[in-house]
Amino acid sequence: MPLNVVSLVSVGRHPQSGRQRRAEQDGRAVELGMNLKVVQNSQLTVLHAGASSEPVLRTYAGMGLPELKVLELAEQDDAVPALGDYLQSANADIVLTGVRAESGESSGMVPYLLAEQLGWPLVPRIADIVSIDDGVAEILLALPRGQRRAVSVPLPFVASVDNAAAEARQTAYGPGMRARIEGNKAVTEVDEVRAGWQESDAKPRPKRLKVVKAKTAADRFKAATAKPQGKAGKVMKSESAKEQAEEIFKLLLEEKVIK
Amino acid sequence: MSGEGSFEVLRRDPRAEWIARNRLHPLHGTINVGEEAEVRGPSGLIRKNPHKVGFIGPNGIKRIDRLKGNATAAGLGRRSSGPQEVQLPLHAVENPDFYIVVVPDLVGGRLTSQDKDVLGQAHKLVKGIDGEGAVVAVCFGESKEEGYDTAGVDRLIHLGGEEYEGFAPEQRLAALMQVEAQLQPKHWLFPDSVHGGADLGSRLAARLSERPAVQAWQVDHASTVSRGASGSKDIQRATPRILLLAEECADPIDETRHEAQAIELAAIPLTITRLKDQGQVAVDPNAIPLAEAEFILSAGNGIHNWEQFHEAAEVLGATEGASRVAVDDGFMPRFRQVGATGTWVTARVYIAVGISGAIQHMQGIGQCDKVIAINSDAGCDMVKRAALSAIGDSEEVLAELIKLMQAHKAEQAEGGDQNAA
Amino acid sequence: MSFEWLHPALIATALVLAVIGAVRRVSLWRAGQPDQVNLMAGLMAMPKRYLHDLHDVVERDKYMSKTHAATGGGFVLSAVLIILVHLFDVDSQILAWALLASSALMFVGALFVFKRRLNPPSRISKGPWMRLPKSLLAFAGSFFILTLPAAGILPEGFLLQTGNVLLTVVLTALIIWGMGEMFFGMSWGGPMKHAFAGALHLAFHRRQERFGGGRSTGLKPVDLSVVEEFNPATSDKQVLGVAKPKDFKWNQLLGFDACVQCGRCEAMCPAFAAGQPLNPKKLIQDMVIGLAGGDDAKYAGSPYPGKEVGNAKGGPELIITDGLVSPETLWSCTTCRACVEECPMMIEHVDAIVDMRRFLTMEKGETPNKGAEILDNIIATDNPNGYSPASRTNWAADQNLPVMSDVKQAEVLFWVSDGAFDMRSQRILRSFVKLLKAANVDFAVLGDEELDSGDVARRLGDDAAFQNLAKRNLETLSKYKFSKIVTTDPHAYHCLRNEYQDLGSNALDGVEVLHHTTFLNELVQAGKLRLDSFNGGTVTYHDPCYLGRYNGEYEAPRELLRSLGIEIAEMERSGFRSRCCGGGGGAPITDIPGERRIADMRMEEVNSTGAELVAVGCQQCTAMLEGVAEPRPEVKDIAEILAGQLIEEVH
Repeated sequence: MPLNVVSLVSVGRHPQSGRQRRAEQDGRAVELGMNLKVVQNSQLTVLHAGASSEPVLRTYAGMGLPELKVLELAEQDDAVPALGDYLQSANADIVLTGVRAESGESSGMVPYLLAEQLGWPLVPRIADIVSIDDGVAEILLALPRGQRRAVSVPLPFVASVDNAAAEARQTAYGPGMRARIEGNKAVTEVDEVRAGWQESDAKPRPKRLKVVKAKTAADRFKAATAKPQGKAGKVMKSESAKEQAEEIFKLLLEEKVIK
Repeated sequence: MSGEGSFEVLRRDPRAEWIARNRLHPLHGTINVGEEAEVRGPSGLIRKNPHKVGFIGPNGIKRIDRLKGNATAAGLGRRSSGPQEVQLPLHAVENPDFYIVVVPDLVGGRLTSQDKDVLGQAHKLVKGIDGEGAVVAVCFGESKEEGYDTAGVDRLIHLGGEEYEGFAPEQRLAALMQVEAQLQPKHWLFPDSVHGGADLGSRLAARLSERPAVQAWQVDHASTVSRGASGSKDIQRATPRILLLAEECADPIDETRHEAQAIELAAIPLTITRLKDQGQVAVDPNAIPLAEAEFILSAGNGIHNWEQFHEAAEVLGATEGASRVAVDDGFMPRFRQVGATGTWVTARVYIAVGISGAIQHMQGIGQCDKVIAINSDAGCDMVKRAALSAIGDSEEVLAELIKLMQAHKAEQAEGGDQNAA
Repeated sequence: MSFEWLHPALIATALVLAVIGAVRRVSLWRAGQPDQVNLMAGLMAMPKRYLHDLHDVVERDKYMSKTHAATGGGFVLSAVLIILVHLFDVDSQILAWALLASSALMFVGALFVFKRRLNPPSRISKGPWMRLPKSLLAFAGSFFILTLPAAGILPEGFLLQTGNVLLTVVLTALIIWGMGEMFFGMSWGGPMKHAFAGALHLAFHRRQERFGGGRSTGLKPVDLSVVEEFNPATSDKQVLGVAKPKDFKWNQLLGFDACVQCGRCEAMCPAFAAGQPLNPKKLIQDMVIGLAGGDDAKYAGSPYPGKEVGNAKGGPELIITDGLVSPETLWSCTTCRACVEECPMMIEHVDAIVDMRRFLTMEKGETPNKGAEILDNIIATDNPNGYSPASRTNWAADQNLPVMSDVKQAEVLFWVSDGAFDMRSQRILRSFVKLLKAANVDFAVLGDEELDSGDVARRLGDDAAFQNLAKRNLETLSKYKFSKIVTTDPHAYHCLRNEYQDLGSNALDGVEVLHHTTFLNELVQAGKLRLDSFNGGTVTYHDPCYLGRYNGEYEAPRELLRSLGIEIAEMERSGFRSRCCGGGGGAPITDIPGERRIADMRMEEVNSTGAELVAVGCQQCTAMLEGVAEPRPEVKDIAEILAGQLIEEVH
């Protein structure tokens, strides 16, 4: 039986223009789903909870999806009950999401809540699904600075896809416009908690200043008058190559980039 | 601290000097006289150590020492014992009315700066709530941290068992559920980080059906401001029970000392874990995306021996980068290009070999911490930017660097053998 | 035994076969998409276009132009006379003498063709083309001899006498060979196909405006309604751009057939010279394979650099990029139009390349390298590098520029272009503003309302993004009153001047779109700017493609430089033959590797003039030429040079 993979997609937000776009991580979740389709002969469903008239959905479809499923929700509705309800009955094996949405609350809770509701394990921040054998998936987690951790998990599971996963393929205008976007009636539940919040444009956060807590007058004077450490670095001109290399090596050791 | 030598005020202590001079003084033995300027050599002759003669006076001028070194040594001995360990006042919580639990990341067994900020935030919350509250830190895995007390930990739960090591979110969650049952914390605080804090916090929130505030950055006992919509919105709400806190959410504790008293937890059931950690994977430095790499060795126009460059990168374990010209000339693939038109890098250490530093390139390395330049031109922009520059033939310097690194590796291998033996 | 019937029968057979071939060929072209052309008017205008427009281009090579006039003219005349004299047997000494003359003319011409082919340059194709001069000689020679009796020089029936069997056999063989090449080959795909297809191509050319000295360089818009109003139940799936040869317009297919494989395009193509896998001549030949079906085994010209000949297969219903032309070939093009400018048959290579790119980008989503990222940025931020749209005017924070949304109208609208985000280009912009202010020009900018012109998106094949940007730009423009748009960016200039007009807006009606060099030249000629003479050494000028070939502005920048007392040390490739800097058509984005960089080659040409300064009129060219590793001459925009020589009034 082919695997059922569901990639959840949301409406992204461009960090510079604030314009709606295909979300980075959701795009990667679709890409991962499409690649699994090639390797595992799985079926991919791309699912969105929101409005089927949303133009951004066309940019996901443009990756080469013949159709998208939409659970019709209004702006103020909570996506989790609708998605949970759908997935209960969808017979899915793998649910892929982004780590955090680019619009809305961006809390990153959707995969956790879905996993909790379905009673499935959740794999956070994955970079790739290496293999699936006998109902057990070998997964690479993304750690900071390009490091990876291997984890195995039995199907079915929910995974959030990190920015380290393969980049979403280019979206093409023609297939995107031609794709069928099918709206489905969904369980609607108004997000009451959110209604009580106040939302405003992000205020710039003050940078933390180096506060000197001086005990003596001399220390305070020093803190107030001391020149900041000069920006100019050390330049070695006349030293031999060996000395220069030693100095560089010392710095590398200090910075712990070599062990 | 205030230890930078040139600013140290030299003060003489006449009493100590007097004691040092007076060999009959009962305290004479306690004064550290230091190395003598005159010693009897092997042949029995008195030898003078010219470096030990005299001392630096308060004005920075060398003075003749008429006390044969005794006075200064004694006088300075007291002052220059370094900044004194100040015993911070102890903040003790005898019978807490409530608990606020912090789950630090403890990267490499130590509190991160974000962990400390979160602990600071916890104390800020404690102050805002009536009654006496204690900040509990729940630490998992191996801990090398010694400063729990000064970081603001009133109570410490340390779970170091093997089942908590590495990637074990399910077992850790089980432990947190036990803490929840035992302490009924008023708030749960997590660093909102990629080191596991955000993951664990979200798991707990889902399990407890609590709606957490994520990327919270302005929190008091009543209301919380958190970032939403990928950092573009501020959401203000009543402070929830579970908080995932942004970096620099609050100032760390620095004026008090805390008990860091251990709390015993009732037995935590071993959960059936479905996520099986297979350990960290060795990643080839060149497979790390340039933007994420921590240590980059970058090549420019000035490289002539490309084999040696690749060898250097391999030996040093650095990710390779390149300037536009090196890419255009076909020596490096396009995805290795660093700069505004290539990849913006965030390396902590960036070694630029033979790159003079076009403006686009400098833009691309703007976020790098330490830049090291190896270049033949001392006047180029890269040298101006670099923390350390070696001016000369890059091929020679790289060759020396490779030798050093190989020697270093050999030494380590030897050291490892000895340890094993 | 009489053989009198033999030659007329042969001629008749050849002509019938030629007609059958012609019908077949026409049906191949008709597989293409419909395009509105006035057939009659085109046919009527064809001889004039041949003599005027086509020969203007051929004339650049004097030897070839005379040769072609003799051979081609001789052949056309001979063919008509042969039909009269030998087929219809019109008994006229005058006609016979005329035929002798015309075939003699053709023979002489063919001798020169023969001579040219003795040691042919690498750009021209070999193979069947090496046979052509001999075929021409055979045709002209045999009919000359065949006509001798009719002209009364030899006795009637001399050739058919039984004693001259050998002569008759040889002569008949030559006639068959000659007519086989000239009549049969013309419509069945031999080298002479160029005459048949070429003549019709001139008549039904897709860009009729090009004839009579006109210029038509704007790309044609894609009809997006085929996908926007797509209904899976009712609509048939029509792709965007060109996937298969039959997706070209029929007259584009006809145009490909007109190619004479002279290789002038190849000699001009910067990508070919840089060793990138593009050869415009081979590309057109591959299109011919596509429209007729088959493979390129018989192709006898230079290959795409780095690619072997013989592996390309195609057909009218086969996807071109699956086996006929590799995508890298299409993405190597800088859209510099040097090939189009040079083509004596007026074939439109760039149109074809962009048509096929449109398919790759809008249907397949396969824009190489940084293409996808750049297009995403353009769509999300209205500029290719993804900068915040709100920071578009940051460069002018200290310039105190009047903004259209405040002033509502101005004499001149200064179109800033995306150079606003680039620190190097900002120097050009500041210089230009300084000059505008010095000349007291009443100008304003759009500020943050301005968007990318869509040039890059369009050249990368994303016409949807282009049309979106263009429509939004036009809407902004329609809100304000101005009589001129001036821009320092030739790419934006080209879009505004030549491509926005297709989008159904009247925002630019009656508005003059100018490049800053043209406008500055007007100011200088009118004495509005006081300039010091320049004495900074030798100066050369690099013609930007989108200013020169696309818009015909070669003179204003030169006049400006001369007005500073500069004597321009011209490069060998300059004016309409200027070589691209490598920065157009999204080439730096798609970044197809070659053996050299185009910019380096161009800088070598600069160096060979001994110039210490290259004057440029384009920020993209500036960036590309400055990207050449030092030491190299300085690169400056003309606005910068002018601003440096400005005598500022002291108040």
